[in-house]
Amino acid sequence: MKLAPVFVIEAAAFLLIIAETYLFFDFVVPLGPIPRNPAEYTGLALVKLLLIAGLGILWFVVMIGLTRLYVRSKTRTLPRPSS
Amino acid sequence: MPLGLADVGVLLLSFAAPFVLLLLGLPRFLGFLARVGRVSDDVHKSPPAKVPEPAGPVLFLAALAGELVVAVGLHSWVPVAVVLGTSVAFVVGLWDDLYVLGGKTKPLLLVAAGLAFVSLAVISTDLYRPELTLPILGDTSPHFTIYTVLAIAAFPVVANAFNMMDAFNGEISWFTLLTSAALLIGVVLHYVFTPGFALARVASVLPLVGVAAAFLVFNRYPSRAFDGDSGSLMFGAMFAGLAIAGGVEVAAMIAIVPAILNSFYTLSSVRGFVERRKMASRPTYIGKDGLLYASYEAGAPSTLVRLLLLDGPLSERDLVKNIVYLTVVAFVFSVAISVLTWVV
Repeated sequence: MKLAPVFVIEAAAFLLIIAETYLFFDFVVPLGPIPRNPAEYTGLALVKLLLIAGLGILWFVVMIGLTRLYVRSKTRTLPRPSS
Repeated sequence: MPLGLADVGVLLLSFAAPFVLLLLGLPRFLGFLARVGRVSDDVHKSPPAKVPEPAGPVLFLAALAGELVVAVGLHSWVPVAVVLGTSVAFVVGLWDDLYVLGGKTKPLLLVAAGLAFVSLAVISTDLYRPELTLPILGDTSPHFTIYTVLAIAAFPVVANAFNMMDAFNGEISWFTLLTSAALLIGVVLHYVFTPGFALARVASVLPLVGVAAAFLVFNRYPSRAFDGDSGSLMFGAMFAGLAIAGGVEVAAMIAIVPAILNSFYTLSSVRGFVERRKMASRPTYIGKDGLLYASYEAGAPSTLVRLLLLDGPLSERDLVKNIVYLTVVAFVFSVAISVLTWVV
């Protein structure tokens, strides 16, 4: 089961995609009601953009974190090529 | 709903036509490519073998034939929209095969593939539903503008993700076959459990499965043909269009998780879109023993392959096997998502 850690990274990516897709379409996008005041409208748009960026950053951070953990555990014993 | 004999005939022909066309047509085209000197070094062999490239034009024609069968046989605009998006991606890829495009130019041009696909919604208003169906939770609320923007963006993203999975013998053909099979299962379940869902959306997936299956014969280790960017970008754009038209976006996203991870690792390590021929260093290299090693260079891109090789050197054949295992896991996740979405 040498591939098991990579399967774990793959499963984490899978679960995050599902959860974040749900949050994006059913929480962030319908966030409202849409205000008529331009200042409030801009504010709401900015909040939505920040939340969307937050979802992206969360995926990025979790993936980077898991990958670094795996790379660190492996690079100590990385075999050297004969050339 | 029960299928008529004509429907079964269209389903069979939409798979068989591209499959047989490719099996018969590709050897002749490969001979032509070899005669005119369009061969590439198979860089992971020592010494490098010469392999005809690009096979993309024949892959595209075979897929086109399959979609034509569906359009005529089932009177649907869905295959037309899929072909429109796929054609743009194929032309961009062929241009890249012949003249080499910049790392940023390619994704920008591929936006046109998404635009071509969604433009057909003007004629066929039910081309796609502007909402996602999530497992167990059901439909999200519809958002036409946001969904359409995401659908357009999906084409360059998915086409590039497929393109980045085209580095080793058999990698792209195995990947496309498994992901398109997952897509097919999702669309079939959508058809069976959703009254009024058009059969043409199921039939439109079959040419992609047929082309990928036939291409595997030539592309598996040791490769006798490389698809080139015209082939891999075409595969990716076709996959994106079929996922959107089939309403199985979530299952499709899950099926290509290995490609999403690969793109993520590459883009985050080279910090942006860089044409692979212009990368300062390679993620892997071949040792004297003929095995592939993860590169030690600090600037080497962290691809999925480099990650797999951290566990020790592998032959090209074993490395592709590992990538196929990862894709099989994604396939299982994707089918589970489809079952939870349409059956449960």
